[in-house]
Amino acid sequence: MRELVARYLSQSISRRTFLKGLAAAGLTPAAARSVLESVVPSAQAQGVEGVRVVEGTGGECFAEQLVASGVRYIFGNSASEDAHFYEALVDRPQLKYILTPHEGPGAAMAAGYVKASGEPAIVMQAAVVGLANAIGQMFNAYKEQTPLVFYSYRTDQTGRAGRDGFEEVANQEGIVAPLTKYAWLARSASMIPETVRRAFKAAWTPPYGPTYASWHSDLNDERTRAEVIVQEKVDPRMRVRPNPAEVERAAKLLVDAKMPLMIVGDEVTRAKATAKAARLATLLGMPVTQARSVHANFSQSHPLWVGGLPVGRISSLDFPKNPDVVINVGNKLQHNSPNPMIGRGVKFIDMRIDSWSMGNVIPTDVPLVADVAFGLDDLVAAVEQLVTDDLRRKYAARADEVRAFGEKRRRLSRLFAKSPDWDASPMIADRVTWEVAQFADRDAIVVHEAGSVAAHSFGFDPDGGRELFYYMGAHLGSGTGTAAGVKLARPSRQVICLTGDGSFIFGPTALWNMARLELPVITVVYNNHAYSGPHSRVIEKVPNGRMVETGHFVHDYLGKPDMNMAWIAKGFGVEGEVAHSPAELKAALARARRATMDGKPYLIDAQVARVGVAWADSPWVPTVRERGERERRM
Amino acid sequence: MRAALALTGMFLLACAALAQQPAKAPAGFPDAPGKDVLTSRCFQCHGPSMWTAQRQDRRAWEATLYRMVGRGALWNDDEIQAMASYLATVYGRKAK
Repeated sequence: MRELVARYLSQSISRRTFLKGLAAAGLTPAAARSVLESVVPSAQAQGVEGVRVVEGTGGECFAEQLVASGVRYIFGNSASEDAHFYEALVDRPQLKYILTPHEGPGAAMAAGYVKASGEPAIVMQAAVVGLANAIGQMFNAYKEQTPLVFYSYRTDQTGRAGRDGFEEVANQEGIVAPLTKYAWLARSASMIPETVRRAFKAAWTPPYGPTYASWHSDLNDERTRAEVIVQEKVDPRMRVRPNPAEVERAAKLLVDAKMPLMIVGDEVTRAKATAKAARLATLLGMPVTQARSVHANFSQSHPLWVGGLPVGRISSLDFPKNPDVVINVGNKLQHNSPNPMIGRGVKFIDMRIDSWSMGNVIPTDVPLVADVAFGLDDLVAAVEQLVTDDLRRKYAARADEVRAFGEKRRRLSRLFAKSPDWDASPMIADRVTWEVAQFADRDAIVVHEAGSVAAHSFGFDPDGGRELFYYMGAHLGSGTGTAAGVKLARPSRQVICLTGDGSFIFGPTALWNMARLELPVITVVYNNHAYSGPHSRVIEKVPNGRMVETGHFVHDYLGKPDMNMAWIAKGFGVEGEVAHSPAELKAALARARRATMDGKPYLIDAQVARVGVAWADSPWVPTVRERGERERRM
Repeated sequence: MRAALALTGMFLLACAALAQQPAKAPAGFPDAPGKDVLTSRCFQCHGPSMWTAQRQDRRAWEATLYRMVGRGALWNDDEIQAMASYLATVYGRKAK
C-alpha cells in the first residue's frame, strides 16, 4: 500500500491504475475511493501536471526522474560512487533495487524483464569497469531491439577528468555509441534528470533499442535543483499508420498473387498483433513462416503455419516452393549469407516500423512503414474491399492446400522419436527437448539459449499458449538472467530455461538472484561437455584436415574435468541434480515441479551425448606443460 | 569471441552460403542406391563437407538423419532408410 501511494503521488501511475492496485490489495471499491480521496490533495500539491521541480543531490534527482519515467525495478551491481542514489532509495519504496553479482547476467535479467513486461527498467554498473561487463548484453539488446536503459558514472570527478586516473577512459560514452540509440554524458548535476528521461524516450521510441546515460561521479553528490518530468510528457507515442496509397498497392499485390507467403517477426509480438496477422493470413489462405526472431510470433498449430525458415532463405521451405508475393510483417530479416533471403523476381511487401533497414538487401515493391498493428488493420480492410466471392473460393482452395502440407509436416516432424538413440544414455538432445515439452505447462514460457538444440515439440502459440524467448542476439550468457527477468515480470507463468553447458557457464550468477528473490525458474542444461557448434563448423571449413585426422581439436572440449552444473547451482543456493537417462530426467522434472510449487528454482544438468564428426569417446586434451617440468612440489 | 561461439544456435544457417539453384551432387558422391534421395533432400541446405569428413556406421548415419528431422527436415521413413544405407555404403566407418 505504501508503495502504491508513493507511485501515485509521484505520478508514475495513473488514477485508474492506482484504484486497480488498491482493489488487488483487497480493498473494496468504496474503501479504495476513500483512500484515493485522502491522497488527492497531496497529489494536487505537486504542481504542474507531470512536471515537478526537485531539490536535492544529483543522486536524488536521478531517483526522482526514474520514478517519473515509470521505472519500478533497478538492476545493478554495487557501485561506490552511487552512494547518494542508494541513499535516495531508502525513502522511495516504489523503486526496487535488485543487486546482481555480475553486470552481464544482471543486464540480461533486466532485458528479460523489459521484454516480458513491456515496462521500463534501468541497468546500473560501476563506471567503465562495470559497463565493460554489461556490453555483451547491450549488444543483445541492440540486435533484439530491446528498449533497455543503461547507466554508469565516470569514476573521474569533474576536477580531475582527463588525467588517465583510476578507472578512467577517454570518451566513456563513445565506447557504446555503435550499440545504442543514444549515449550521452550529462555536463552538470542539474542535467541528470533530463539526460535520464531522454534516454528513456529514445529507448522507448520505435524502433526500440538500448540507450546509455553517464555523468561524472561527483555530480551524484552535488546538490542541485532540476525539473523532473513524467514519461507521458516526453513520449512522442510514435504509432504510425502506413501510407494509404502503399496499403492499396500491397492489397492489390496480395489479392492477385498466385501463392503469397507471409513472414512474421518480433514487431508482431511487441505490437500485440499476432491475432491480426492470423486474420490477414486467413483472409487470403496465405501460408505463414518466420525468420530468426526472439519470439514465436505465430501459432505453430495454426493450419496456415508452414514452419520456420530452415536456413534463412525462403527457397529452403518445403512449401510453398515458389511464392510470387512475399509480405514481411515485422521481421528484421537478419541475413547470414551473401544470398538475399528472398530471391530476385519475387514481389516483396515490407511492413515494419524499422524503416532504416528496409530495402538494404531486398528490393522492395511496397514499403509499409508502420506500427504493424495499425498496418495489419489497414491492410486487412483494404484486402476485404477487393475480395470477391470467386476470390474467396480460390483462397479457400489454397488454404486447403496449405493445411494438407501442414498435416504432413506435423506427421513427419515427429519422426525424430524413431532415432535408434532415442533411449540412449547419455541422452540425445531431441529426447531432452521432447521430455521437457511433455512436462511443460500449456502456457509455459521457454527461454532458449541452448545452442543448436531445436525447440521442437513445444507448439508455441503467442495467443494464450506457450511463449518463446530465443537468444537472437547471440552474445552468450543471457539465458539464466533472461529467465529470471521473465519470471519477475510474469510470476504466474511457468518459466523454463533451456541452455547449453557452454552458454550456461558464461552467466550462472543469475541463479543467485533466482534463489534470493524466490523466482522459481526451472533451468535445464544440455550438458555435452563441449562446444559442439564450433566443433562442427571448423570441420565444415577444413573437412579433411589434420584436426580430423589426428583428433586434435584445441577449441571445443569442456571435459576433463567435467563441469557439474548441479553443484554450481547449489553454490548459488539453487537445488539441482544430474540426469543421465530419460527415466532420470522425468524424475528430475517431477522434483523440479515440486520445488517451483514451493517458490524455489531448480536446475537439471541433463547429460547429453556429443554428436557429429570426429568426436572421440575420450577426446584429446591439449597440455601446456610437459610432465616433469615442475622442479619442486610446494 | 562469445558472439562467435553463439553461432552454435545457427548450425543450420551455417550452410546458407549455398546458392538457391536446385541441388546438384558434387564430386565424392558415387552412384549407388539412395544417392538420388540424398542429393534431392539434403543439398538444398548442406554443403558436401557435411558428409565427406564423416565416417560412421549405418546406425550412426540413421541417428544423424533423425536428428535433422528434429531441426526441421521433412523426410519419410523410406527416405531416411535409403539415405542411411547410401551413406553407410559410401561413408561408412573405415576399417582399422
